[in-house]
Amino acid sequence: MTVSTPHIDSGKLGELAVTPDGRGAETVFTVRDLTVSYSGNVALKGVDLDIQKNFVTAFIGPSGCGKSTFIRCFNRMNDLVPGARVEGEVLYHDRDLYGANVDPVEVRRRIGMVFQKPNPFPKSIYDNIAFGPRILGMKDGLDERVERTLQHAALWDEVKDRLKENALGLSGGQQQRLCIARALAVEPDVILMDEPASALDPISTSRIEDLIHQLKNEYTIVIVTHNMQQAARVADMTAFFSVELREDGSGRHGVLVEYDQTTKVFTNPSDRRTEDYVTGRFG
Amino acid sequence: MARVEFQASLDGLEATLQEQGTLVLRALRGAVDVLRTQDVELCDEVVAFDDEVDARYHGIEKSIAELLAQQSPVASDLRLVLAILHNSIHLERIGDQCVTVAKLTKLAAGLEPHSDVVEGLTEMGERAAEMVRISLDSFSARDVERARGLVELDELIDRTNHRVSDQVLAMARTPGTQEWGIRMIIVARCIERIGDNAVDIGEQTAFLVTGEFHEFTDASH
Repeated sequence: MTVSTPHIDSGKLGELAVTPDGRGAETVFTVRDLTVSYSGNVALKGVDLDIQKNFVTAFIGPSGCGKSTFIRCFNRMNDLVPGARVEGEVLYHDRDLYGANVDPVEVRRRIGMVFQKPNPFPKSIYDNIAFGPRILGMKDGLDERVERTLQHAALWDEVKDRLKENALGLSGGQQQRLCIARALAVEPDVILMDEPASALDPISTSRIEDLIHQLKNEYTIVIVTHNMQQAARVADMTAFFSVELREDGSGRHGVLVEYDQTTKVFTNPSDRRTEDYVTGRFG
Repeated sequence: MARVEFQASLDGLEATLQEQGTLVLRALRGAVDVLRTQDVELCDEVVAFDDEVDARYHGIEKSIAELLAQQSPVASDLRLVLAILHNSIHLERIGDQCVTVAKLTKLAAGLEPHSDVVEGLTEMGERAAEMVRISLDSFSARDVERARGLVELDELIDRTNHRVSDQVLAMARTPGTQEWGIRMIIVARCIERIGDNAVDIGEQTAFLVTGEFHEFTDASH
């Protein structure tokens, strides 16, 4: 298969993409010609894409298309994978995220992450939230910070009377909102979510989606999801990734096929591959 | 091919739409015939026949509601479903216009017709039937160019409509012709609207294929 240029409506990503409530005016991430390999095997190739401030940006695509690999580039999680190599450029507010003087720990404070399976610490609800701020020396007004953060994550009313109880006693959906609260506690700029609702029941999923809608006014959110309707419901922008076979037969890697406003992707996609994927005509 | 059931539902919807179109064309031919023959019985048949057209519309609407709820169509599937619903409504309205033509013709049955006006109305009706056929065929073939051609045919209907109006105005001073003339002005207006509805169906073909909705002509046209 020939490598084709992805349909990216970058021209619209500036002023035109700004929502009526003013979100999306600034660029948070600028990705240029990004290629990621694991032990020499290319997993994702040649991605160019911008992420706008206060937008919810969804990455969709079949298994193996590199969307999780890609989201992990935004807070340097791939640094933790032995043999991982990231080439190209990821600018965060115009600064090279992979620059020599950049501290990955500071990157992960500003750019928080929530994973597929809720992973609270086996500690109290309070301590789960207070953990990050304590490590970072944000000890003043900790009680207020915990309350504010839990309110932000729409969990306060459910847990305010049992803050000292073990977080593992919460339901799956509550645990996931706790993990979102934990990410919010250190005042990040961006929240990355890697399939945050795929292990949850529909009611918990709706709560997470409602939460995403609330949080986008203050945070920039990037979400990987297998659930296309979820992308359609929550995202301002959607990027579709697909798998491409290498011409020399040496394997396959992920590519960005199309990146556009979510409404466009789900009503009139520009690329046949996107059309086939979103309409379920793949395979 | 994945989503076999879903595709079968979409195919079924399109088939029902074409079926509704065939029924509407039959009603339209009936309406043109009653103008020519002033056959009162045929008028009643055209009126009664509208229930068949309406039943297809309600069937399509119900199936689409179920499809939206169960299959969440997106992209070209979503556009197809929306276009079918629009077209079904347009056809239902064409059916209503045929009913009005038949009712007015029945009311005017005892009055003296004016042969030039009847000729003009028959010409308009035949052109309208041709337009409805083209609109349905081009939708089925996803042929945007053919659909765009409907605009020119619509202009011919509009032109004849003006001619008919002038003829009715000219005969307005002749005693005993006013009632028939007024009724036929409304008949002309009904047929003229059928042409517009056929253009509307053409616009849905363009929407389905391109993903963008544009009226082929603006309202000032």
